[in-house]
Amino acid sequence: MLLILPDKSTRHIETAPLPLEAILLAEGINPLEVMASRDGRLITEDTVVTNADEIRIILISHGG
Amino acid sequence: MAFPAHQRAGPVCSACAEPAVFFQRHTGLHLCGLHLIEEVERNVRTTISSRQMICPDDRVAVALSGGKDSTALLLILNRLLASRTDVQLVAITVDEGIHGYREDTIRSAEDLVSRLGIEHHCISFSELFGGTLDTFLKNRPEQACSICGILRRKALIVGAELAGATKLATGHNLDDEAQSVMMNVLRGDLPRLIRDTGTDSSGLFIPRIKPLSYMYEKEIAAYLMLSGAWNDLPECPYAVHALRREARSILATLEYRYPGTMLNLMKSKIKIKEACLGKIPSEPIRHCRECGDPCSGDLCQLCRLRQTLTL
Repeated sequence: MLLILPDKSTRHIETAPLPLEAILLAEGINPLEVMASRDGRLITEDTVVTNADEIRIILISHGG
Repeated sequence: MAFPAHQRAGPVCSACAEPAVFFQRHTGLHLCGLHLIEEVERNVRTTISSRQMICPDDRVAVALSGGKDSTALLLILNRLLASRTDVQLVAITVDEGIHGYREDTIRSAEDLVSRLGIEHHCISFSELFGGTLDTFLKNRPEQACSICGILRRKALIVGAELAGATKLATGHNLDDEAQSVMMNVLRGDLPRLIRDTGTDSSGLFIPRIKPLSYMYEKEIAAYLMLSGAWNDLPECPYAVHALRREARSILATLEYRYPGTMLNLMKSKIKIKEACLGKIPSEPIRHCRECGDPCSGDLCQLCRLRQTLTL
């Protein structure tokens, strides 16, 4: 899986199908503080993601 | 672990069969784009009506920084009030003068009001106070939020008065409000914990309303994304110095582990306020001996700040 982080850096992760939430937590990210998209669509943190997926993580900046 | 194909495709909306884009953890509901937008607007409508935030003939000034919360607030109010000919919306933007941060958000605010056709007033710290926040914070960046808070409050009041507003609406969300409850408890500041700025029987203040105060920050972000109004804007560079940042992190962790924590904090605040009703004498409103503005002491916060910053 290709994980695109909010700072635009990328991580290649080899994993069995897992809920996105587990991937985020392993990366030290609280699922409440980000949104995630796959193929340009928002997905929920309990969506199961696979090695074939490209997941973009969007940081919810505070304030404003 | 094997997951069935339908789960790999993602959960579906609890209200229809469309793919879910949002998981509302405190209710356990999954929502598709359409139902999330409906839920957000229903929530704001309920918050406004249950607290009688907007009345006939109101002229509501939205404090529009151009960041996500105020953008969502203006978009939602514009939609909810579209059929109300007896209520007017205006927007006020304060330029604090934060280099490398404010330029983008002000541009975003200008684009939004232009697209919606909403009257817009801009006011800057330089015009009002003779300098930018960046200059005031030289050698004291750790005081950024308290100094900016005092100056911003004054700038918004001036802007709202210039716009002839009867209400000042801010984009504070549930996360912000829960953080404030926690910070006031940590500081032991009971008067501030129970203070109500939404009504004013004295006629001295423009009442402040917070229509997003029961919306989670993540719901607002998803609403903007689905409305095509999401802008990936930076966070204020001074936010790193704030106690709020620590409160935010602690509360976000608690909310993740125990969904509904932030709503429960708000319920606690209401119960404390009800329990204190009539037991804590409200401070008499006085007038600042320097500027004449209403305040609780001899000098208002702004005039006290002027003495230290030589504004």
